[in-house]
Amino acid sequence: MRAIWRVMTHPIFLRLTGLVVGGIFVYASWDKITQADRFADIVHDYDMLPLVFINGFALMMPWTELTVGAVLIVGVWRRAAGLLATAMTVSFLIAIAQAEFRGLEIECGCFDVSGMSATEASWDLFLRDIPLLLGSALVWRKG
Amino acid sequence: MDGSASDKMVNGGSCGSCPIVRAAGFVVQRALSHFPHAVRAACLLLLAVAAASIYNAANDLGIPWGPSPGSRVGIPRAFESRLPQINAPQALTLWEAGDAVFVDSRDRKDYERDYIPGATNAPMRKWTEIWPGIESELPRDQLLVLYCYGAHCGLSTRQGKELLRQGYDELVVLDYGWTTWTEHGHPTVQHSEGHPGGGSEH
Repeated sequence: MRAIWRVMTHPIFLRLTGLVVGGIFVYASWDKITQADRFADIVHDYDMLPLVFINGFALMMPWTELTVGAVLIVGVWRRAAGLLATAMTVSFLIAIAQAEFRGLEIECGCFDVSGMSATEASWDLFLRDIPLLLGSALVWRKG
Repeated sequence: MDGSASDKMVNGGSCGSCPIVRAAGFVVQRALSHFPHAVRAACLLLLAVAAASIYNAANDLGIPWGPSPGSRVGIPRAFESRLPQINAPQALTLWEAGDAVFVDSRDRKDYERDYIPGATNAPMRKWTEIWPGIESELPRDQLLVLYCYGAHCGLSTRQGKELLRQGYDELVVLDYGWTTWTEHGHPTVQHSEGHPGGGSEH
């Protein structure tokens, strides 16, 4: 166990984790940035935010993903970016879980927001986000 | 600013805001030393907001930061005036004149139960699947009246946006959709067994 932890906290492993998590965040941001109106529709579908906040959230979230992703890739302020990445991933998990508990059949809005190859919010997706959470948290705590 | 003036600023002399500035500087310094990552994270957030504001302002399909008139969300500023809302009496006038095509954005199962007479079903939740087949049923030279379930149902507005992107120009959205139409007692077709074609008009 200690050996695994030593590998996970090795600077090279942390750097690679930062690159992977950063790459995922940058990739995830692009469609939402270019089609903010469609992303706002998806945020609306999750039915978690008051109407007044939906557009603002849909505008801000993808740019935060892009900023965090770029910073993680470049390798500066990694722990700060890891903190934001962790917070965002936790919010994704909460959003997906509440949608599943309420039986909402909605697009996840994870990567594609045009509906062309959309993924539905589901428990599979929830599980898929767990490694992302672990990677983000590792970068946050250990840099 | 000369040396004495700056000394006064630093020492709080004649500058009324200096205690505030000093207090803010103290807070930032303490925050940076105790929570450096949280402060940097806040800086990243500010950077993201600034970038989002600039990009959104320059983007043709940018959206307002708050809801559009009528509490609608996700409407690009360029579409706000091209996707007006109408109420049930206005929709009835259009329906009676026969000048408009009514488009039901609800799911197929709901359309199969009841719908506005003459309406075409174009379930928005299946849009990418149905669009190639439904395009020929939606005339470009006639007004389209889009409706969905009711309050807070964004499907018809979302469909309007997609149709605007496809080059349609004459669109209106029935505010409060099916709910307001039926509450006003306007005509509907109802199918007890859920099969359109042999329904009764009310």
